[in-house]
Amino acid sequence: MIEARGETTTEATIETATEATVETTTETITGEPEAIPADIKARACGRLRWYPAAWRARYGDEFAELLAADLAERPRSLRRDADIACSGLRARLADVGLTPHAFDRGASPRARLATLACCAAAFMLAAAAMWSQLAIGVSWTHPRHAGVTQALDLMSAALLVCSVLAGLAAIRVGGSVIAAIRRGDGLRLLRPAALIATGATVLFFGAKHFENAWPGTGGHLLVHQSLVPGGVAAFGWAATMWITSYVMHPAALVAFPAGQLAWMALSPAAAGGVIAGTASLLRQLDQSPGALRFELGLARVGGAAMLLFIAGALRWLVSPEPGVMPAFHVGVIDLAALAVLALTVATASQAIRRVQPCQLA
Amino acid sequence: MKRSASSAAPAASDGLDTLGRSSGPASLILSSLADGAKHGYALTKDIESFAGVRLAPGTLYEALSRLEAHGLIEALDSQDRRRPYQLTVTGATALSSYLQAQRQVADVGLSRLARSWALT
Repeated sequence: MIEARGETTTEATIETATEATVETTTETITGEPEAIPADIKARACGRLRWYPAAWRARYGDEFAELLAADLAERPRSLRRDADIACSGLRARLADVGLTPHAFDRGASPRARLATLACCAAAFMLAAAAMWSQLAIGVSWTHPRHAGVTQALDLMSAALLVCSVLAGLAAIRVGGSVIAAIRRGDGLRLLRPAALIATGATVLFFGAKHFENAWPGTGGHLLVHQSLVPGGVAAFGWAATMWITSYVMHPAALVAFPAGQLAWMALSPAAAGGVIAGTASLLRQLDQSPGALRFELGLARVGGAAMLLFIAGALRWLVSPEPGVMPAFHVGVIDLAALAVLALTVATASQAIRRVQPCQLA
Repeated sequence: MKRSASSAAPAASDGLDTLGRSSGPASLILSSLADGAKHGYALTKDIESFAGVRLAPGTLYEALSRLEAHGLIEALDSQDRRRPYQLTVTGATALSSYLQAQRQVADVGLSRLARSWALT
């Protein structure tokens, strides 16, 4: 339109063009599809599931209309299906803050923080499972290779730092929740907060109850070999028993007492509740730029602590223990845990990589 | 609906180059909207008619959401489920700059082809 008039692109011509566009709005919406059968509309709505809820709320209706028209014209198209799957996946990545949010930039820092919290929780679970096994082993017998002790020291220090940072973050988020309640905006936070409180309570008291369920998990009173108190290691073991026992010894499950089996089913649900509740809370909670900045700062320190833990785990993996010493044996579950640790660090790093101070303003 | 062009002047970051993988579809969408507002289906048909390219629904809406986020297009109110989009002042300016740059490249390429290969 601008070119056709042979004019230079100036503000005046652009405005004229825009006015003309607005005036002709109703006349220029062309292209009417044929009447679309209900089953095709249902198929179109079904494909909306590829996209996250926030995207569906904004674009769902109009996208389903277009898709239904496309399905009516081309009932089968692998290219179209792949296109929807890929763009749906990209929309989901944006929704969790791993790529820039396309239509709600304000949601991006909250989504990134929620993803970060999920990564940190998954890291802590995998790390606690790995660390508690090693710590219990060291509390019973002195490792022959110095690398095992060094590894345990590194891993313990890193976990301690992560726990302190998690506590600081929880206090800051708690402050934001209280501020939201004072603003009268706390009702929507009730459900995720209840989920976190229930999950954490179940996890804490369940782990306390089962921490000495197996002989030796608390260590030997007279042979204390490491800096880690036996009770702390036993608590970590009990909280993550579903990872090590369920995954590592599936054939031995029939010999487990019913109470422990029930705990192995309940504890992951409780941990999942804490994680899901935290993610939901952080996605809904409006925090001040200062609070977000503080939490992202904690996340950066936490990332360094996570890398320290992985370094400790690698130190253990490359420390050959002479003879058969089951307590320090590196198994498939430990390699899998290491992979989970690396994946969570990589995802967390991606979540905070592109956060700019202006996004928090 | 009248807006001030100066207040909506595009920033350097609002060009089509900042849209990443959506910059190709974005130029087609903006070109289609240059003569008036259209909803998704009408956009698909129009682009197919003038460019010979059928934008898949996922690609189309990914580009639409980015264009809207960058303020290059805006959604209009609609009585039915189909929502029409129209070009904004910023979008018109960005499209104009983009097409002028493309035309310069095309002119150079065509003149060189005519000179060296006798192709017009």
